[in-house]
Amino acid sequence: MSLIEVKDISKTFKVSKRRGGVPGMLANLFVPKFERKEAVKNISLSIEKGEMVGFIGPNGAGKSTTIKMLSGILYPDSGEIIVDGFIPYKQRKNYVGRIGVVFGQKSQLQWDLPVIDSFELLKAIYRVPDAVYQKNLSRFTEMLDMGSFIRQPVRQLSLGQRMRADIVAALIHSPEIVFFDEPTIGIDVVGKETIRSFIRELNEQDKVTMLFTTHDMQDIEKTCKRLVIIDGGTKVYDGTLGGIREQYGTSRQLDVEFAGRAEIAPIDKVEMETIDENKKRFIFENRDIQINELMNQILSRYQVRDINISEPDIESIIRKIYNREVDGI
Amino acid sequence: MSDVFKLMGVYAKTTAKSWFQYRVDAVLKSLAVFLREATGIIVIWFTLLKFDQLNGWDIYEMLFLFSLLFLTYGIMIIFFTGLRDFGRTVRDGSFDRFLLRPRGLLFQIIFVNSDWFAAIGHGGLGITLFLISAGKVGIQWNLAHAVYYLFAVAGGVLIQGAVFLVLAALNIYLLETNSLKELLYWNMRKFAGYPISIFHKAIQFIMIYVMPFAFVNYFPAQYLLRKSDMAQYPEIFLYLTPAVGIGMYLLAYLFWRFSIRYYKSSGN
Repeated sequence: MSLIEVKDISKTFKVSKRRGGVPGMLANLFVPKFERKEAVKNISLSIEKGEMVGFIGPNGAGKSTTIKMLSGILYPDSGEIIVDGFIPYKQRKNYVGRIGVVFGQKSQLQWDLPVIDSFELLKAIYRVPDAVYQKNLSRFTEMLDMGSFIRQPVRQLSLGQRMRADIVAALIHSPEIVFFDEPTIGIDVVGKETIRSFIRELNEQDKVTMLFTTHDMQDIEKTCKRLVIIDGGTKVYDGTLGGIREQYGTSRQLDVEFAGRAEIAPIDKVEMETIDENKKRFIFENRDIQINELMNQILSRYQVRDINISEPDIESIIRKIYNREVDGI
Repeated sequence: MSDVFKLMGVYAKTTAKSWFQYRVDAVLKSLAVFLREATGIIVIWFTLLKFDQLNGWDIYEMLFLFSLLFLTYGIMIIFFTGLRDFGRTVRDGSFDRFLLRPRGLLFQIIFVNSDWFAAIGHGGLGITLFLISAGKVGIQWNLAHAVYYLFAVAGGVLIQGAVFLVLAALNIYLLETNSLKELLYWNMRKFAGYPISIFHKAIQFIMIYVMPFAFVNYFPAQYLLRKSDMAQYPEIFLYLTPAVGIGMYLLAYLFWRFSIRYYKSSGN
C-alpha cells in the first residue's frame, strides 16, 4: 500500500452556459442551461512515502481539481482516495493536520499583519507544540533567508518574499505530505532557485512526500525524479523524467550549415526546415533513418561548413504532448 | 477544551491587531454605523411627536422596541461576521483554507473575524436607546424580568444568526445571496422597528412565521410592557423567543451541514 493511493477518480462540474444578447440574458434568468465539464476523468495514481512528484498539464487540465480532491476540499464523483490511511474528504478534520498545501495564487497570510503573526495563529490552529514550532521556525527562516522581513506586514512584501512566507506557513506544523500548487508562479530566477533548493532539501532530509504542480519545466527538472502529466482530465504520462525522452522524444534534429546557398533535394522520411539562406534543419526519427546514413547522404552531395546534432528538450516534448502531436496518446 | 479557548484568544488578538493597523478608520467606522442608524430613529422621533402615539405605543415604548433590535444585532454580528461575508469567502476561494485546517468549519468562520465596528455601532445604539427608554416605560426591573430579558436577547441573537447561517449555506449553491438578504432580512427589519399590530395581516404573518422578527423584539417587549394590542396574538408567543431561536438555529445548522457537501471551490 502506497502512502497516496488514488483509484479511478472522476469529477464533473456543472457550469452554467451563458447565452449572449438581451434575449439570451433573459433566457438565462428563467431557463438556465448547464453544461457538464469533466474536470478529471478516471485518474489513478500511487505515490510512495518520500517521493517527489512533478504534476504538470496545461491550464484547465485538472491539476488543481486533483489536488483539491487529494487535500479533502472536494469530493470526487467516483473512485476513491486513501492517503496515509485516511479518506481525505470524509475524515477531513483528522486528515488535514498531516498535510500542508501551498497555493501559489492564494496567500493564507494575514494581509495587514507581520508575517510572524500569521505563523503564531497557525501554531494555535494546528496545536503545534512550542518546541517544534521554534525549531521549524528558526530552521525554515534560515533556509529561506526570511530574517529580514519576518516582522514586516505582509502587504509590504515582494511577491518572492510573500511566497517564501506562504511556504513556511504551510509547513509550520511539520506535515508528512505537501501539495504545492504553482509555488513559483511569477517569481524571478533567483527566487525560484531558493524555493527549489528548499523543496529539495526538505524532501531529502525530512523525507517529506511532495506533489508539485508548475508550468515551469525547470522546476520539475531541478526537483523531481518522477513526472505525471495530465491533459483534458486524464493521465497521459507517469514515469521518470528521463523516460519521457525515451518514450516521446525519439526525434533528433540535425542543423547543417552549407558552404553556399543551399538547394537541397527532399530526403525520404526526413522533415526539413529552413533556418536561413545557407542553414537547414533536418528532423527525423531514429527508427526511420540512421544518423550516419543521413549524414552520408548530405556530406556526399553538398559542401558542408558546420553540423550540429541535438535532441529535443523536455519543454518542447511536453509542448508536443499538450498539442497531441505525439503518437501513442 | 482549553485548547479551543486558547485558539479563540489568538483569533481575537489577530483581529484586534489588524484593527489597530487603521485606528482612525476604526473609530470613524463605528461612529458612521451608529449615526446612520441613529438618524433613522431621529426621523421616527420627530414623526411621532406629531402623533403622540402609535396603536397605543408612546415614543419611549417604541425606543425600547428599537433597542432590542439593535442590541441583538450588535451581539449577533460579533459572532456571525464570517457568515455575513461568506459569499465573498466562497467566491474568492478562501473557503478552501478553512477546509484545510484541522478545526470545525463553523468554529473557524465564527471566530476568524468579528466586525467590531458594526457591533459597537449597532450595539452601542441599542444600549443608548435602552438607557433612554428603560426607566420611562413602567417596567419593574426585578430579577425575573431581568432574566426574561437576557433569555429574550439570546433568543433574538439566535433567530438572526439562524437567518445568516441559512443565507451563508445558500451561498454554496448560488455564490451570492446579498440581494436575498436585502429582500428577506433588511427589508423586514424595517417593519420590525414598529409594533407589528399596525401592519396588514400579510406582513404580520411574515413577521411571525417567515422571517420572525416579531420574536426578536415585539413579543419580548410585549411581555414587559403589556400593551393592549397584544390581545390579538396568542399569549404563548410572549414566551417563545428562546425556543424559536434554538429551533431555527438547529434547523439552520442542519441545512448548513447538508450544503457543505456540495461545495465546489473556485478554479485557479
